[in-house]
Parts: sequence; C-alpha cells; structure tokens
Amino acid sequence: MPNPETIRFKSPEELKEEEIERKIKERGPEGEILGGIVFEEEKITDPETNEEKTKRYIYIGNPYDETPIITKLETEATQEEIEAIKKEIIPMKESFEILEAMAMTYKHRQPLLIEGPTAIGKTYLAEKFTELLYGRRTKPLDFYCSGQTDVSELMAKWVAKVETEEEEKKKWNEFLESAEAQEKLSQEQKLALIHTKLQELAKSAGLSEKTRWRFQYGAVPKAMGLTRNPDGSFSFDEQKGMGFILHIEEVGLAEPQVINALLKLRGKRGQLAEEIQLWENGGRKIKAGPKFWVFFSTNPPEEYLARNEVDPALARGVVFKRMKELSEESLHLAADYYFTYKLVKKPKEKPEGCILDIYNHPEIGREIAKVVSAFHNDLNKALKKGEKGRKQRIPLTLDDMGRIADAIIDTQVRNKETGRLDLTKSLKKLIHFYYLDRLADEGIKETMEANLNELLEGITGEIEFEGETRTRKEIFDILVERASITEKEKKKLEEEKKKEEKRRLKQAKFDAQNIQDSLLKNQKIPELVKNLLQE
Amino acid sequence: MDKNDLNIFIHLLQKVFTQKQPPFDLGLIVKESESQIDVKEVFEEIKKSVDIERIIYDETIFDEDTIDKIIDAFQKNKWIFLEIKKDIGSPLLNQLKHLANHNSLQLIDYQGKDIFEMKMPENSRVIVFAERDFIENKITYPYFYRLFGPTLSLK
Repeated sequence: MPNPETIRFKSPEELKEEEIERKIKERGPEGEILGGIVFEEEKITDPETNEEKTKRYIYIGNPYDETPIITKLETEATQEEIEAIKKEIIPMKESFEILEAMAMTYKHRQPLLIEGPTAIGKTYLAEKFTELLYGRRTKPLDFYCSGQTDVSELMAKWVAKVETEEEEKKKWNEFLESAEAQEKLSQEQKLALIHTKLQELAKSAGLSEKTRWRFQYGAVPKAMGLTRNPDGSFSFDEQKGMGFILHIEEVGLAEPQVINALLKLRGKRGQLAEEIQLWENGGRKIKAGPKFWVFFSTNPPEEYLARNEVDPALARGVVFKRMKELSEESLHLAADYYFTYKLVKKPKEKPEGCILDIYNHPEIGREIAKVVSAFHNDLNKALKKGEKGRKQRIPLTLDDMGRIADAIIDTQVRNKETGRLDLTKSLKKLIHFYYLDRLADEGIKETMEANLNELLEGITGEIEFEGETRTRKEIFDILVERASITEKEKKKLEEEKKKEEKRRLKQAKFDAQNIQDSLLKNQKIPELVKNLLQE
Repeated sequence: MDKNDLNIFIHLLQKVFTQKQPPFDLGLIVKESESQIDVKEVFEEIKKSVDIERIIYDETIFDEDTIDKIIDAFQKNKWIFLEIKKDIGSPLLNQLKHLANHNSLQLIDYQGKDIFEMKMPENSRVIVFAERDFIENKITYPYFYRLFGPTLSLK
C-alpha cells in the first residue's frame, strides 16, 4: 500500500498537459508517428459581451523527444485542415525539429534562422507552418536573396507609376465633372479654345503625364503591416496592420548591404524590432504588427562558392539553428512514404499509361524505395564533391523522389517478352529525366549510370530476398509477376499447388510403406520390433 | 533531337503530381555545347503539342516586362517557352523561384493589390531554354537547376 503522504493529486492543468503530451507522442500500430501536431478548440465567454466564442489552437512538439517542448498557438485553420496538412508532412525527425523551432520562436516573436542542406525541407515546412496558422493554401510572404538582390526590394523604393487606361479615364471624368473644370472649360470655350490651350490646362491639372512617381514598400515593411483578410486577400496599414510571416530565403547569398538592412529587424531581448525607420521616405516609422514574424533560411556555406558563413551580426540577432544532412533513416522513411503512396489518395481507376497499378502494391513500393533512396544518397555524396569544371550546384531534394514515385504510376515501359511491366527499365528512364540529365560532368554521369546498373542488375547490388540472394531486377521481376497475375490465374495456381501437395503426400505414404515392408522382410530384426512396427 | 524524349518531357511536365508540392513542375531544356539543334526548331516542335508562347529574356527586356508577359500568357492559359540569354535579375528570379516552390506568382503592389498572387493555371507550364555553357558561366545564381523538375539535355 502506498504511503498516503507520498500520494498527490494532479491538477487539471497537469492532467491536460499529460494528455496533450500523449497525443504529441502518439504512434500507430507499426510504430509510425501519428502525433507531432494536435488540434484543440476552446469555448471562451467574452467578459464584456457575455458572448460565447470558439477559439482554435494547435500544439506543436517533437514526437521523437522523450520530453517534448510543446508550444500552443492560436490558429485560423479548421480541424479538417490541420489533419490534411499533417498528412502532407513526412514524419521525419528533422521535420519536427524544424517545426518545433518555428513554433517556439513564433510564439516569442523571435526571428529564426535555419542553416541546413536543401533536402531538409526548410521552404516546404515554412509553407506548412503558415498553413497550420492560417489555413490551407496560405503562403508566407517570400523573398529570395541572390547576389543581385537590391536593398530597395527589401525595404522601399520610388517607382514609376504608369497609369492604366481605366485610371486615366476615371481621372479625366472626375476632372471634367468638377466645378473648377466646368468653370475653367467654359471660360476657355468662350475664348475659342484651341488644342494647345487644352493641353496646357490638362498639364496644369497633372493629367497629361503618363508616368508619375509613387513610393513602394519592400517585402520587410509590407510583412510588418499586412493583415490577412478572411477572404484570403491582404490589406496593408503601416501603423495598424496585424503583420504576417516573412520568409527570407538563401540569406547566405545576400551582399553585405542587404544584410545591413536586415539588421534593422533586431529588437530588444532577442525579439523582432517593434518598428523600423525608412529613410527612403523621410524617416517614416513602420510598426510591426503582433503577428509579424521572420524566418531566414540558408544553405550551409560549403554549398556556396565564394560565400562565407552567415554574417555574425545577423547570426547574433536571431535564433540560429544549424541542421545536418538528412539521416539515411529519414531518407529511407521519406522514400517509403512516397513509393507506398501513403501521402495521397490512390487512383480509383488505372490511369492511361499504367501497366501495373503499383500504388496498390506496397511490397513493390518498398523495394523501389530501397533502390531510389540508395541511388539518391550515392548521387548526393558524389555531388557534394562538386562537378568537374562547373559553377552550378545541384543539391538533391526529397521532391526528386516524389516526382519519380508519381511519374512511375503512368510512365511505364512494357517488357516485350512477358507483356508485363518492366520495372527496371521504367525506373532507369525516370532516373535519367529527374536526376542524371541535369549533370554536366560526363564523368559523374557515367559513374552514376554504372552505379545504377550495378545496383539494379549487378552482384554488388544483390540482397537477401525470401531466403535467397537476388539482384534487385530479379526481385522486381518476381514481385511484378506476382502482382500481375489475374484472379483466375491465381485460383489455377492454388489448385495446382494443392494437387502437388496431395501428390507429395501420396508419394510419402508409398515411401513409408516400402520402408516398412523391407523392414518386416529383414530377418535380422527381432519379431518383437516387427510386431511393434505393424501396430 | 529525339522526339520520343521530347514527348516524354512534355508528358512529365503536363503531369499533376499528387505526392509533391507544388503539383506542377517547371521544365528545363539544356542545349549542350556540341549540339547543332536550333532553338526555333525545338520551339516549333513543342508548339505542335501545346499552345505555347516564346519569350526571349535578353538585354533588350526588363525583368518587370518579362513578368508582365508571363502573367499575360497565364491569363490566356498558355505555356511559356522562356529563352534565357542574360543573367537572371532579382525580380524575375524571385518569381521563377516562387513558381517553382508554390506554382504561383507573388508580387508586391501590383495591379492595385498590396499582395498580388496568381496561381499558375492548370493548363499552363513554363519551359526554360538555355545553353549549358551559358548556365555554367553566366548565371550567377548557384542553384539554377533546382528550379526545375524534368530536364531535357539536347546533344
């Protein structure tokens, strides 16, 4: 019996925390992650109006952590939307690490900078995080840096205003209908109005110049003062806007003057600045709305030529998270999700060009996943070393595998001898389009082609399959043959199998009888044993 | 030019993906240095299969005008054949990247809207054409190839 002094009752808050943590860490029957993101609705009574309102929240935490840090955020998305978004996120450890960092920094209005390789999914998760907060199909305000980025694109600039025909017509009408114009025109008409005089009049009213100047805010002040309207459109108010999510990509490519401009975003105590001052508009101040948040992303410096690490001043002013390459485990998990078609609704009918409905055969998908993830990994390693004589870089992304998984549904090559799907050839063709044809270095291209052939048909690519060592091509052929068999053929095969078993049993019986007979005839065996045998 | 490969290339571009976001790809045709194929020949061949408009991005055109032409073609549900003949400027690169990442254009203060967003129509696609040497030596953005799904190499 427990000591009553050690018993303590958990508070409702603690019980709720435990329930949320259990949901965050929830796993399916095969150990797959089901949690990570939890939706909740709360009914709240407005103390002023006494009106009952429903508020929606999401909890985000890393389900791989023993004790995850769970962040609660208000959302505009519905439960159905949250469930649909969750299904689009491959539950890799790295994805939840990023989402966890996003949720925590968003809640505390801290800018976040993630430095990590392309395949980690920074852009994709920035989009998903925005959708988790605002609902499906809402995208963050994106700004992509490059060596050519100008500060004015981020902050503000004066641009030529070219009036459309509609605008010009409207202005003319407004002017002609105004009392001032009526008066002036009548006077002019009285003075036998001539064409040049009319032009002068128009010019004095500022109507004859097609091009005028207007002040245009860049991505930073816009995101600070944007408000997302219920219909999905945006409105801007530099003082009262709610603010929105700004994703500044590839900040590692930006020139020092762009970084200097971005430093304006540093606020007190590691938070985002509450306002910024724009000298382009006479020192006017722009206020940051409560929902304004900035997420910077960049690739590791070794992936850029002639680029250094993230500017130290910028790194100090943000929450800086460095991510490693995707683990082989995560890469394989992603491939498995793609090729067993877990992320999508499978087609109801066979699409045109589809010889075998591989989306209904996860056993085939799992084998393809092994091949494609191994090839992807090998190529990624080869590309990290750089291609001979080329300046461009080709970082691989998970999308490359997703593309092949989708394309192989209806871009299939038929085996002329068997009439069935030639999975090896189909896969090779697609790997060419999506991986190999981008390569400029013929050396790497040839090596990777040879590696692919070896992986699919060579001895080094052989693996254990149902107790035997086989090449991947052989495994594909076996699985395709099994999956291609019709119901009628299946029944026939089963009947033949049963017949064969019967025949074997009969044979075994005869063999046993023969042995018994020969033993009974053997004179060296004592009668007692023979009697026992007969019994 | 292998017409079979070109047909597969167009087929892969037409594909609406269910497993990747965004669901459409941008395509890249790379003319290798040893290739004798003329760009017009490639364009005319594609024109036989899809309704496509050619935009030449060179020194005579501003990024903003190129973006206007892209929007115009999208409004007509047309494909775009964008021939790159100068290094890509920041405004066009931003839009190409947004198209690649989200299948939409996102512009600030455009056509009277604070944020102008335009989805790439389901019947439109973008094919970028460039020579290999040009991509390698003139395009300063180091991840040019990453913008595209299928790549067709012309030898």
